Amino acid sequence: MTNTQPYISIRHLQKGYKIGGEAISIFDGLDLDIPNGDFVAIMGPSGSGKSTLLNMLAGIDRPDAGELRIGNSYLNQMGEGARASWRAHNMGIVFQFYNLLPMLNAAENVELPLLLKPLSAKDRRDRVRKVLDLVGLSGRERQYPSMMSGGQQQRVGIARAIVSDPGLLLCDEPTGDLDRKSADDVLQMLRFLNQELGKTIIMVTHDPEAAKYAKRVLHLDKGNFVEEKRAA
Amino acid sequence: MSNHIKQTFIMSRANLFSLPRRLAISTSMVLSVALVVAVLAGFLAMSKGFEQALEGAGSSDIAVVLGGGTNQEMGSDIPADAIRNLQAMSGDFGVTRDAAGSLIASREIIVTIGFTPEADTLPRTLALRGMDASGPLIRDGVTLSDGRLFRPSAREIVVGARIAADFPGFEIGETVRLGALDWTVVGHFASNGSAFESEIWADLETTRAAFDRQGQVQSLRLRLHDASSLSSLNVQLQNISQTRLLAVSEANLYAAQAGRTADIIQLFGWPLALLMAIGATAGALNTMMSSVADRTVEIATLRALGFSRLSACLATWFEAIALACIGAVLGILASWLGFNGWQASTVGANNASIGFQLSVTGDVMLNAGLLGLAIGALGGAIPAFAATRLPLTAALRASG
Ligand SMILES: Nc1ncnc2c1ncn2[C@@H]1O[C@H](COP(=O)(O)OP(=O)(O)O)[C@@H](O)[C@H]1O
Ligand SMILES: [Mg+2]
Repeated sequence: MTNTQPYISIRHLQKGYKIGGEAISIFDGLDLDIPNGDFVAIMGPSGSGKSTLLNMLAGIDRPDAGELRIGNSYLNQMGEGARASWRAHNMGIVFQFYNLLPMLNAAENVELPLLLKPLSAKDRRDRVRKVLDLVGLSGRERQYPSMMSGGQQQRVGIARAIVSDPGLLLCDEPTGDLDRKSADDVLQMLRFLNQELGKTIIMVTHDPEAAKYAKRVLHLDKGNFVEEKRAA
Repeated sequence: MSNHIKQTFIMSRANLFSLPRRLAISTSMVLSVALVVAVLAGFLAMSKGFEQALEGAGSSDIAVVLGGGTNQEMGSDIPADAIRNLQAMSGDFGVTRDAAGSLIASREIIVTIGFTPEADTLPRTLALRGMDASGPLIRDGVTLSDGRLFRPSAREIVVGARIAADFPGFEIGETVRLGALDWTVVGHFASNGSAFESEIWADLETTRAAFDRQGQVQSLRLRLHDASSLSSLNVQLQNISQTRLLAVSEANLYAAQAGRTADIIQLFGWPLALLMAIGATAGALNTMMSSVADRTVEIATLRALGFSRLSACLATWFEAIALACIGAVLGILASWLGFNGWQASTVGANNASIGFQLSVTGDVMLNAGLLGLAIGALGGAIPAFAATRLPLTAALRASG
């Protein structure tokens, strides 16, 4: 990858779904560039395709046509297995409802992505401790999700997303289920990860307050149209 | 590949922890597998026990001569002149002789007798064997456990241990009505649980007289030098009578009977067990489908983190096999505790009941256990495939 190339590039991307035999188009020729180290908030009405776009960036969903490149990987050309392994090594994902495994404690949840890598148990333990420290949860390693507040669970979710040190962080409404105070904590943390650790972050949100933490905001509307606005 | 194994291991561990959420339906799968395994083990143990009872009865050093083209005592008839001719033959044709030079032989008949053990019970069929005085000696592994042998021309019987144990009225000194006449019990014999223990022995002439079988001989028992003497005996038998005579080793005689009946037991047991197994497989399929449904969000989350399809598939399949395995172990344990050593009886080759013990042996456990595992492996296959086809986006969307 040369410096002139954006980190993420989307070209002529098409995506639709069939609902009850009727094909509906969500993206029809979407173009988007995101440079390395960016912090983008994606906003837009419900059903406009924000999650769909994020899922394609995560390699969970695939475009019908067009090009989707992240770093040197053309996700649109990769099969299911290759994308799973790409996910394991290149991006972290943060969910609105945290998606922690209820039968695992905080440390075990955070450890999951590391288990896909050739690391010793000690290396894994050290890394888990470090990221739990980073998100302000040291001492809570052995707590189960059911014993934690929403804000704490989401911080475990963020720790899990960054534990294998990916360059890209994808967050789908990460504060959608949190109170203001917890939301601000989480957003502070994302800003820290972007500014201090250089992570590229793409965050879908409904919340204009949340969007203010991003470097720029993209408005998604009417299917395939993306309007860009500088955050105030 | 090793990475897939590791991922599968982690997914399986998560499955294990989530099992309590599906306790009821998982338990029902375990129990239905256990039931099938126990039923099959029961039938196989019966078949195995029957085989063991009859195999124990046979020695290959003893020949049983049968006449009239049959290979079992039932329906066999040996003419008196054939026996006289054989006894008159000099020279060594493989049969042991006593000190006086006579063949060690016992002429025998079997009479089946309807017997009602107690008032208001179903009649059972017993086998009374009339034999020469040398008869008990031409049987290996038989010991007189109590009393004495019958005396010639006395209406006395020696009773096998199974009959003495199963029916009242066979204590030594007691009188038993067999057919139209009363007989006195003078002894009990044992033979390590073999089919002999289901017979009653008496003097040949007395038996013939009591049941109007004068002059009849169904089988002639001879003691051979060793197993290989059988063929020279058969050569000799060609020349002594118009009637076709055939000597078989006692071991083969009983083994052939055992084989037939054991086959019948299995012929009934396997289809029944397989039919039940089909039901249990449908149950396993249902259990595992609801397991996949229950774990949808967890599977999708792990897949989103980069876990492979294969690991989702294998972990689901292993859960099915693990549950089936628990069921199989329970079923085997239940059959072992419940059936092993159980006394049973069936109708043997002479139309008389033969007692035997159910025997849950290693290969009974193996066969029944493998059927249990097959239920898990088959019932879990489609759900395992379904686990790989989970639409991730829909699963993650519904995660709230
Ligand atoms: N798996 C799916 N099957 C059918 N339709 C879908 C699926 N996923 C999303 N959609 C449809 O695509 C559109 C965009 O959905 P989504 O990306 O979730 O929007 P947003 O996140 O902006 O609310 C919606 O109309 C939704 O109903
Ligand atoms: Mg959405």
